[in-house]
Amino acid sequence: MAHASATEAHAHEHATHEHHGPQGILKYIWSTDHKVIAMQYLFTGMFMAMVGGFMAYVFRMQLAFPGKSVPLFGYVSPGEYNALITGHGSIMIFWVAMPVLIAAFGNFLIPLMVGADDMVFPRINRLSYQVFLLSVLVILSSLFVKGGGFGGAWTSYPPLSANADYNLTPLGSSMWLVAVALEFVAFLLGGINFITTLMNSRAPGMKAYDIPMVPWMIVIASILFMLSVGPLIAGAIMLFFDQNLGTGFFDPTRGGDPVLWQHLFWFFGHPEVYVVLLPAVGIVIDVVATFARKKLFGYKTLLYTAVATGVLSFFVWAHHQFIAGIDPRMANIFTVTTLLISVPIAEMCFVIIATLYGGDIRLKVPMLWALAFVGEFLIGGVTGIFLGASGADAYLHETYFVLAHFHYTFFPIAIIGTFAGFTYWFPKMFGRMMNETLGKIHFWGTIIPFNFIFIPLFVLGLDGQQRRIYNFQNFPELQHLQPVRILATISLVVMLFFQLFFFWNVIQSWWKGPKAPRNPWKSNTLEWTTESPPPHGNWPADEMPKVYRGPYEYNHPDREEDYWPQNLPA
Amino acid sequence: MSEQHHPDYKKIYVALVILLAISVAGPHVGLKWLTLITAFGVALVKANLVVENFMHLKWEKVVAKWVLGVALVLMGLFFAGVAPDVMEHTGDRWVNNAAIAAVARGIPDEEEEGAPESGGAEQAAASTETAAAPAPAAPAFSPETQFKQVCSACHGMEGKGDGPGAAGLDPKPANFTDPAFWADKDDATLVKAIREGGASVGKSSAMPAWGSLYNEEQAKQLVAYLHTLKGS
Amino acid sequence: MQKPIATTRSATGIPTGRLAVWWVLASEIVIFGGLLASYVMHRIGHPEWAVAASHTNTWIGATNTFVLLTSSFTAVLAHQAAEHGDGRTAAKYLFMTIGGACTFILIKSLEWTHEIREGFVIQANGFWSFYYTAAGLHALHVIAGAIVMAFVARDAMKGRELHRVELVGIYWHFVDVIWIFLFPLLYIAK
Repeated sequence: MAHASATEAHAHEHATHEHHGPQGILKYIWSTDHKVIAMQYLFTGMFMAMVGGFMAYVFRMQLAFPGKSVPLFGYVSPGEYNALITGHGSIMIFWVAMPVLIAAFGNFLIPLMVGADDMVFPRINRLSYQVFLLSVLVILSSLFVKGGGFGGAWTSYPPLSANADYNLTPLGSSMWLVAVALEFVAFLLGGINFITTLMNSRAPGMKAYDIPMVPWMIVIASILFMLSVGPLIAGAIMLFFDQNLGTGFFDPTRGGDPVLWQHLFWFFGHPEVYVVLLPAVGIVIDVVATFARKKLFGYKTLLYTAVATGVLSFFVWAHHQFIAGIDPRMANIFTVTTLLISVPIAEMCFVIIATLYGGDIRLKVPMLWALAFVGEFLIGGVTGIFLGASGADAYLHETYFVLAHFHYTFFPIAIIGTFAGFTYWFPKMFGRMMNETLGKIHFWGTIIPFNFIFIPLFVLGLDGQQRRIYNFQNFPELQHLQPVRILATISLVVMLFFQLFFFWNVIQSWWKGPKAPRNPWKSNTLEWTTESPPPHGNWPADEMPKVYRGPYEYNHPDREEDYWPQNLPA
Repeated sequence: MSEQHHPDYKKIYVALVILLAISVAGPHVGLKWLTLITAFGVALVKANLVVENFMHLKWEKVVAKWVLGVALVLMGLFFAGVAPDVMEHTGDRWVNNAAIAAVARGIPDEEEEGAPESGGAEQAAASTETAAAPAPAAPAFSPETQFKQVCSACHGMEGKGDGPGAAGLDPKPANFTDPAFWADKDDATLVKAIREGGASVGKSSAMPAWGSLYNEEQAKQLVAYLHTLKGS
Repeated sequence: MQKPIATTRSATGIPTGRLAVWWVLASEIVIFGGLLASYVMHRIGHPEWAVAASHTNTWIGATNTFVLLTSSFTAVLAHQAAEHGDGRTAAKYLFMTIGGACTFILIKSLEWTHEIREGFVIQANGFWSFYYTAAGLHALHVIAGAIVMAFVARDAMKGRELHRVELVGIYWHFVDVIWIFLFPLLYIAK
């Protein structure tokens, strides 16, 4: 360190951050350090992913082998089936994708990547996790209360969701609603931190266009979330009152309107998918730039495209309601806007491909995940176009085609994007290197079965198979498709089996993997300039980094090395 | 704590109170358009005064104005996208019968609307149980409202058998304006068709059995209403 | 707890705390905006709600509006005092503002008690459902604001964290602005 010659007391006073946080076990529960909070979100999110994945396993087993007892679960009743699909959808979006992509990566990386010592509001940060944890407890316990967990789908349309005589889960449905509302509050609190930290707390010299894509994308996503969730919070209050106070906000016989709920929900629900997409794209960008050893092609294009996507995302929501009875004139407008939004998203894929072109590509495990993201998400994106056209959607709505489309978008976002980020930043987070071979086995064992689960679902959807049905043997015209369902289910089981390689890799690497250097991937961004894992305060207080250039100066002609960290003076 | 700008807060406060007085006085003039101006126009002016001067937005960096402005614009967008479905009760080839019926039903002035009418929806029983209000007299059964709310979906608003639901039906729903329909029907048959379904009187099974919604007396009132549709 | 260096930086030129408050307000605009937009749509589409709306008491509503306006006035005076470094005066004005908040809640409680006794309960019809939900959500924000303000006032009395006086003030003015719109919506548009 630069102050080695100073007296011990002097060095202690200046070089470290004067925060003697909680010690011992309390450190992991009560800390305000953004890195600890990030880990809390990460592990909670990964645990919930296991819960959501287990639910998928159970209901897919029911679909493939109807009426048979599912190993590790038992017989699935129709009510339980509904609760499982509702729980799977809700958990994967609200308790896996959002906490991992936004809260975990955001909390860990934003202060590090902008050169700050923590988030601007550490105690609000801690509070956000505590509220989030409470929401986890509520949603999980809702599955075990009298009547069972809510089974009205993650979209929770009234009158089904408002009236216990219909949904048969009076306690479960209200608890679901409360859990979702708490999750919203947690992310509003967290979002304030991310946005304010990015806007205000950058390292000296870091101009707006020097910020790496990950913080930008997470902050744009947070803004999208904050601005879109308001009407749904209002709607949730209204639905809660309908459920518990006998109001009739969504009851047509009392002057209410169930379509209003749909609008309130989807006004949020559509921007929400971009809330989770953008961070994943940001992660993929950073990984691709590092492992292609190439400057990002079109930084400003990508940034403006992301903003344009965010803005447009507010204009497309009713494409989820094409056959709900909305005014056909609105359906026309929303078709146009929905088809339009495919343009900026395609643009983002082009930017990634253009960055790869001519690069010095290293196929490390994080890069494999990033490349898989592009390919798989493309399938999801183009199938969305069929659904965005209201004419085609009239046939395809509520079929398995929709299901396959959004799994081809969500899975790349929540699973592939997460693995790309996790394997990339694992050395920084845990101070160890992961095993490449295990990583590759896990990668292929996930990607190949994934396609064998969901391509068949496109086929099923085109054949007219509806969603949210407990047993397709009850439909004579759909019985012949059973082998397809069995194929999808077996592929899921295979994919789940291969996740064991991931867990083994994590545990083994953490325990006795090779120690990670500061910058194993030779990347430019600021988080790689500090120790692995970073100490409290990230850098010594008098050695906070300064920034001299953009984040993607790889293979710069003026430089001998093929990378040029942001914090090195010219 | 950057801005040194402090307007005369007292003056602004006095202006706000005067504006409040105007908005309270407005309705007493009795002109609807004037009331709207004094109520909402004043609200806008007051809000502007508070936001610019008390919140110091007048002297704030422009990014804050953008943040708030975007949120407001989004609310306008929300309204524009949802009002055609929720505020309007008819549109391009659709009709919101329940809402029209609610408007037609009105709200009795002496007591609040406790239980909704028993027709029209299965929620009736549930909402009667959950209403916590002191039990009012149940609103009178209105066959016209029931027809408009429930029957018109297939039979059409004027009973011509041309409702939206009739498109996919063959034979078409009964046309109550056609004298030929009435030539061979007596009231008892019609009551039975309503309560036990079309098949119970040798007609199409597409006509459901509404007996769980309408008792004998109510079904008779409905049939009486159908008579009024003759030759319309 | 020591403030992180991050909190003291300001690339935008707006102090971090105030920047955060603007974002909080944006999120509140969309929450109340969604609720009120839904109310307006229904109110315009259901003219028969005028019958129910006629039972709100305009004078009580106007009194409460006056109370909140006055409390906004005292809040901004607190800010002015804090700007001059006078923590004790700032705290005094903040306590007056809290007093206004309590008065508001008291009047509202009496108002609602009366209305509920008359049978105008939340389930009565769509108008009353929106009335209690909107005013209730607003009242919750009043209470939360008053609680936070008490903590800020306590610190201000000791001359500490004076910048927070302005921040809680901005939030308070926003709560006032919401009511400025609720008042005509619920009490005048009949």
